[in-house]
Amino acid sequence: MERAIAAASGGTEALDFESWAARLFAHQFEYVAAYRTLCERRGLSPATVASWRDVPPVPTAAFRHVDLATGPAEVVFRTSGTSTGPEARGRHLVPRLSLYRTAALPTFARHLLPDGARPRCVFLLPPPAQRPDSSLVRMCEWVGEAFGTGTEWLADDTGLDVTRLAERLAALERSGEAVLVAGPTAGFLRFFDTGRKVRLGPGSRVMDTGGAKGMPRPLSRAGFLRACWSHLGVPGYFCVNEYGLTELCSQRYESAMADRFAGRSLDHRRLVAPPWLRTRVLDPDTLEEVPAGRTGMLCHHDLANAGSVAVVLTEDLGHTAGDDGIVVTGRVSGAPARGCGQLLADVTS
Amino acid sequence: MTVTTGAALRAAIDAALEARGRARTQPVARRARALAAAARRWQDDPRLHARLPAASGLSPAMVAATVPLVAGAFDVEAMERMVRDEVGETAPDAPPLVAHVLASNVPALALPAIAHAVLLGSAVVVKSGRADPVSAPAFARALADVDPDLGATVVAVTWPGGTSALDEILLQVASVLVLTGADKTIAALAPRAAGRVLRHGTRFSVALVDDSADVDALAEDVVLYEQRGCLSPQTVWVRGDPHAFATRLGEALARAAIRLPPPSATTDERAAVRAFLDDAAWSGAEVRSGPWGAVVVRDLPRFLPTCGRRTVHVAGIDAATSLAERLPAGRIECVGVGGEAPPGLGSIGVSRLCPVGRMQRPPLAWPRGARAPLASLLGRPSPASRLRVES
Repeated sequence: MERAIAAASGGTEALDFESWAARLFAHQFEYVAAYRTLCERRGLSPATVASWRDVPPVPTAAFRHVDLATGPAEVVFRTSGTSTGPEARGRHLVPRLSLYRTAALPTFARHLLPDGARPRCVFLLPPPAQRPDSSLVRMCEWVGEAFGTGTEWLADDTGLDVTRLAERLAALERSGEAVLVAGPTAGFLRFFDTGRKVRLGPGSRVMDTGGAKGMPRPLSRAGFLRACWSHLGVPGYFCVNEYGLTELCSQRYESAMADRFAGRSLDHRRLVAPPWLRTRVLDPDTLEEVPAGRTGMLCHHDLANAGSVAVVLTEDLGHTAGDDGIVVTGRVSGAPARGCGQLLADVTS
Repeated sequence: MTVTTGAALRAAIDAALEARGRARTQPVARRARALAAAARRWQDDPRLHARLPAASGLSPAMVAATVPLVAGAFDVEAMERMVRDEVGETAPDAPPLVAHVLASNVPALALPAIAHAVLLGSAVVVKSGRADPVSAPAFARALADVDPDLGATVVAVTWPGGTSALDEILLQVASVLVLTGADKTIAALAPRAAGRVLRHGTRFSVALVDDSADVDALAEDVVLYEQRGCLSPQTVWVRGDPHAFATRLGEALARAAIRLPPPSATTDERAAVRAFLDDAAWSGAEVRSGPWGAVVVRDLPRFLPTCGRRTVHVAGIDAATSLAERLPAGRIECVGVGGEAPPGLGSIGVSRLCPVGRMQRPPLAWPRGARAPLASLLGRPSPASRLRVES
């Protein structure tokens, strides 16, 4: 699977999603006991599933209660804190960490570095030593190593150090160096709320993730993009939202920057995926796909989740956008607060 | 009425305070009779029945089923007794103006709010939530028809949330401000009030029953108001066999759904139920669900709310004596009982203990939030335990 993803991301070989989905389902059916039980209860098995669309999903709730892995975990990622305490945090067991890296890095590069830039990386996150169980922190660590000219972590156990962030950004403004500022959307908002304004060097860019989770106040997407320009000097088309889950090894990214460099600047912003990740929008009652453009629960089929379960039904709501994208509209009411925004809220509470 | 300007709100309040001066010499018995007569008129108001379903999101059948429960609490003798018990013969210390900011998770919260103020001889402003702009004006009209002097002491208003200038007037002029709603909303408003504040935040209800208890009565408690209110049972502890009881309760909820079909739900609401039931199933709970709602059988050493929409936890319990230790202090409003009554509930702030089937029929004297309704408006101390035991 890892070779197929590497080949697909490099553009050297098309990925046969249907075929890989069937192989993964058979593998996970055999080795993940809890998943097999779910499938058998529904009368489904590799022999009866004809299409990737028929592979039964596992809800993210399952990750809070059972271990879902095809083998011993090389690393365990945990969802951020929840309102019901650490015992209710989800656990994603990843038997092969290199598969996560292989899936994550080229997708990041495609959407954040389509110009081949090598920026200085400023992360509004705790360093990996403090959050070894955060899949986002791990990904950012790899990003810094692979693509950055330097890496700084501006949060710790006590939360985001906004003062230090402002100082660092001011210094980077003076240097004129291109900067990647990445982290939870809520972290950016805290900086915006200080009123400080900098003009980061040309080619600087923003990656935010987590959306409304943990936000100190509501802020629309358009408002966020305006604030990136007025407070950081980064234009909206260099601002990219990342959508990821602890339970997935692949991510979706807003298309704005990749579209611009591909000559499609007028295309609508949407979250697009690499070829090994597909998303269906499902009716909550029937789990059937809703018509294009209608809102439902997001269900991701991630082939990079080869070591756990590939099909994950989330507690996120959204709809399809165009041929290749989705738009996330919110989170199911009453679902525990979690995710990247919550990561920051946890360390600041 | 929908108020859009501060001047209009101030004028309405001034008129109510002036009317209070005329009406406050009325004896309690006359006020109680007027309130009861107004409640009967309100119950039969065709405009109420026409508009409330769309506003509240409840079905016409549900509105038809619940409106009489609200009006039925307006019993003349019970009102007089409540005044005697909590106030005495007169209330010279009655606050001039009581203001309520109401939630609208269940309709008609305005009626007891108005009644309590009128019984004390206070003028009252009721700001209704957006899902029930109908009940309060309808009741104010009915009261004005029955007794114009009393009706003139009531101001029923709505305005869009976040209209801070109007909020501010209400917060500043009220002698007593009663806030009902989500804890976050209350926390935002309360510090800005000039007068005394009474808070009614998020609370829940539960039941304790024998496995032979009347499941249809309990199902009615669950179904009424679509389980949106603080009196709706979310968890049922069962002495005996919880699994068999859950089967019977599911059947009863299905029967209730024939009489009172659930209203249509948004995608978000349906997704919330799906997520809740998925979580329950993967935690090892036994889940029975259908268009009628859901019953989730699980071990519950502590209270756990559900996602609502006719979803109930059922859990086993060995003895009634161990119920209180499973409940969070200050968060449980009512305990429905089908068998031996549990002890120790008053000390954890439970306000009502009643038979199952009666949970959604609170009397006007219901000490909501474990506070005596009239004494708390007067600022008089409530007894340490305000648990009301109904039979």
